[in-house]
Amino acid sequence: MTEDEYDAVDELNFFRQEAALSHAELWLRYFELGGMSTGFDLEAFLYGVLAPSDHDHDVIAQALNERFAELGGNHPVLYAAR
Amino acid sequence: MSMTKDPPDFRAVTNFKGDAATITLGGNVDNTAAYRLGEILDAAIDRRPAVMVLDVAQLDFIGADGLLAISHAKNRLTALGVTLTIQPSSALVNRRLRIVELAESSRLERALPERGHLGPEQLIGKEPLPPRFASSLSPEDLRRVTALPTNPDVINGALRLLVELARISIGGADGVSVSLLRHGVLATVAASDQTIMAMDADQYATGQGPCVDASIKGHWFHAESLDTETRWPAFTPQARGLGIKAILSSPLRAFDKPIGALNIYSRTAQSFEIWDQESASVFARQASVILSDARVDVSDTQMAIRFQNALQSREVISLAQGIIMERERVDKERAFNALRRASHSQNVPLREQAKMIVLSATQSALRPNQVLDD
Repeated sequence: MTEDEYDAVDELNFFRQEAALSHAELWLRYFELGGMSTGFDLEAFLYGVLAPSDHDHDVIAQALNERFAELGGNHPVLYAAR
Repeated sequence: MSMTKDPPDFRAVTNFKGDAATITLGGNVDNTAAYRLGEILDAAIDRRPAVMVLDVAQLDFIGADGLLAISHAKNRLTALGVTLTIQPSSALVNRRLRIVELAESSRLERALPERGHLGPEQLIGKEPLPPRFASSLSPEDLRRVTALPTNPDVINGALRLLVELARISIGGADGVSVSLLRHGVLATVAASDQTIMAMDADQYATGQGPCVDASIKGHWFHAESLDTETRWPAFTPQARGLGIKAILSSPLRAFDKPIGALNIYSRTAQSFEIWDQESASVFARQASVILSDARVDVSDTQMAIRFQNALQSREVISLAQGIIMERERVDKERAFNALRRASHSQNVPLREQAKMIVLSATQSALRPNQVLDD
């Protein structure tokens, strides 16, 4: 994945589906990592309706990446913060 | 006559004879092609035809957005006093149009903002919206309305609607039900009629049948013809007695475990085609999402444990962040990033990394020569 593709509208949702996580499951994992947004906000982030802050994006990315690691993969979701 | 540049597999030819427009569609109208279809219909309507015919005989597939494009065109034409004739109206398209009508009458809101038609100028942002699900129904819409957890009436209503949508849209379906495993016991939570309720009950009572197996084993079971079926000897004769000849059960899953099944019954043997099986699996996934969001999939105890774990995890991560903030003189977000990078380089989950940091900080704080706050 290149930087250009990085801000695709549904990137996070694409990865959510790849990771076979329901919205609720992803939210719970995000919440576990300290995420402060509601499930409703999270969905808005996933579908590009609301733009998450860099921090929120990174917490979601971390939740997804940990899931990919559980599935034996690497960390495919890029972070906003370097 | 004009041939249009279209997405692969989608063909549309607009033909004007005087003020009569005929648009011939062919191939697949998936959700991406639907935008193109919206443009084509708009362009034809802009020429103010007195008659408009949509020929869908060569159409192989049309998704929810395609149907909405047609539905919007129909509304636009109605406002102009023109009738849109769809011909020859295949059973497939009819069935799918009924879904849209049902969805609209059920006040299902589109995920997109209100729009009069599907012209490109109304797309949000710079990119066309990506196709979200390869289903004929847009599960997002249904989900959005049904994503109101904890109210059992809403959940049951959502499941009943889903059952009805599945019954209408899956070819060969005479009845549909949703079985759910609650506290280790299977029960029917939504069914299209009493016969189907009885059919499910027979399976629970005998402990046999595709519904039971799909719910417990977590993969799908297809009884193509109960006349030759041998897998469930106690249950099969009872189903035949109620006139059922074929059953397709797709598992429902939440939090990675099987929690129930979506069951489709037919009075005709061999009535489920490949695409019906695909539709069934889309509906089953949808039911899974409704149930996951409603959190009725796991017992109260399991849920309580998960939330407790989640809260503990937050607590430990927050503590570790605090330690890093103090040690590195950084803000909370930078502390999170440091934690995340450390967890990645150590190849452990962030929560474990946080635990190690808290533990080592606690140990150093517990050195005997230090004065402790009680």
